[in-house]
Amino acid sequence: MKLVGRAWVFEDDINTDLLYPAACFRVPPSERPRLTMSANRPGWSAEVRPGDLVIAGTNFGTGSSRPAADNLKGLGVAGVLADSINGLFFRNAINTGLPVLEAPGVRAFVREGATVEVDLDTGSIRSEGRELQGRPLPPFLSRILADGGLLPRLRKEGYID
Amino acid sequence: MSRPQTQIERILSRHSTESPGAPVEPEDFVQVEVDRLVLLDMAATHPEFLAHLPHRVHRPERVAWVFDHLVPPPTVELASGLVKLRELATQWGITNVVDIGRGGISHPVMAERGWVRPGEILANTDSHTCAAGALGCAGRGVGMLEVMSILCTGRTWYRVGETVRCSLTGRLPAGVAGKDVFLSLAGAHGAIPSRNIEFAGDGVAALPIPTRQAIATMCAEISAEFALFPPDDRALDYVRARIPAGEPLEPARADPEAQYAEEWTVDLNRVEPLVALPNRVARNVRPVSEMTSVPITRAVVGSCANGTIEDLEAVAEVLNGRHVHREVVFTVTPNTSEVMAEAARRGLVDRLLTAGALVTNPTCGACFGGHMGVLGDGEVCVTSTTRNFQGRMGSPHAKIYLASSATVAASAVTGHLTDPRALLRGEDPP
Repeated sequence: MKLVGRAWVFEDDINTDLLYPAACFRVPPSERPRLTMSANRPGWSAEVRPGDLVIAGTNFGTGSSRPAADNLKGLGVAGVLADSINGLFFRNAINTGLPVLEAPGVRAFVREGATVEVDLDTGSIRSEGRELQGRPLPPFLSRILADGGLLPRLRKEGYID
Repeated sequence: MSRPQTQIERILSRHSTESPGAPVEPEDFVQVEVDRLVLLDMAATHPEFLAHLPHRVHRPERVAWVFDHLVPPPTVELASGLVKLRELATQWGITNVVDIGRGGISHPVMAERGWVRPGEILANTDSHTCAAGALGCAGRGVGMLEVMSILCTGRTWYRVGETVRCSLTGRLPAGVAGKDVFLSLAGAHGAIPSRNIEFAGDGVAALPIPTRQAIATMCAEISAEFALFPPDDRALDYVRARIPAGEPLEPARADPEAQYAEEWTVDLNRVEPLVALPNRVARNVRPVSEMTSVPITRAVVGSCANGTIEDLEAVAEVLNGRHVHREVVFTVTPNTSEVMAEAARRGLVDRLLTAGALVTNPTCGACFGGHMGVLGDGEVCVTSTTRNFQGRMGSPHAKIYLASSATVAASAVTGHLTDPRALLRGEDPP
């Protein structure tokens, strides 16, 4: 799977309470994505466009099991590339069909606003004529992403409608 | 000779569906059978779950449904959601429903009920499921979609991460808690995403189970995949007292020659009361004694990590007849009904109420900013709950300091961040 998009660059330790504030539990699902990172980057959820990529430092998505990846997906974010990613966020992202890639050094490698190309299967990241190697996804996780996440997978296998 | 296994590698290897018992190593992805699954009341807030209900449930006797976050339900909508969940439990044959007033926060309550067993794999939709590691159980928080998949298939996958071995030596001094041990690690080493942590060393044996639970639970805050204590006699005794006699346990231990990515050591004798400053836990920790100029308006004791009987004892000991500062609201939330009942029997509830603290029912409420005491604009809170992220406990314009229950109690008395050791020595608060 390949992605090309405009980069938004965030710092280390972006946590799930920033991605999916507790206020999300009190509003209908359709209103939740606009609350994404309203505390640390007010206004961003209105600026981000479908197909954009989120680039971040270390420990992205640290925190709770809340469906933080769904908020990014709801804003149309095409993928997350970070120096390192919390394991629970990583699972939640794959399972909801949001591409994620760990690539040590990616935050310093990408300039905000630049165009970034990613090949999830090889881990290759290109931007402004340079290349960085990330940790490619194993084939069985790529297949979950290709299916669009776990829900389509479970439906295909007859477990749910 | 096969590759020596760490404790977590051994558990994952035993549970592999493809080659059970074959050694695993970092970077492997392992498909596993999950031994036990815990659903939470938060399922009621997940439209993707309610709109795509599994046709049937794999081994419903190995599934529990614990109501802990929305307890008691703060809105009509959430209360109605719980009605729906009870109907689903009945429909799916899930009899192990831990309803309001009969349990508490999922991690401690499932440990109390013998559902957290060494050598097993436990999945739960809460990120602090690594709490199970206190008893040598491989617990991991997973998302709602993954829980749906495990409900249907009984299986999931884990990436085998590198493991850090953390050796504990010596004994904790008076006034210093498991929370301080965790904060010392988070301050010195920062986060370890995709790595595991295994505790070892001669300092483990003397640590009570609630202390181990506090440490293991908090390892979610350094993004550990799994956080495991060895299944020693104290852990096995705790579990055996809570399961039917004769039920076999299969604890997993690390091979002596197992390879670790890093070795950390903590001399427990030298740990002091610590505090994580607002907004992040990793590499954001200071001694409480250096932060005493910070005034507070709120003090909170509770959560899966620190609402244990050990915490309530520590609070009562620090208070020792003193009163909560007139400009501070102090909330204490025992983490299970069993803890609350025991606290009442020991007279702790009476001592807390007399001091001017509010004692609430067991709930995740304030810790996740849901209800039961959220923070307002401009408030400054010191808490022994789990997270200090911006907006975590309510307003994004509040500040959250994370510390031990003893430090929280001492600060509640003085009105500013306070090292509890002076109060414990009987000295007047500064």
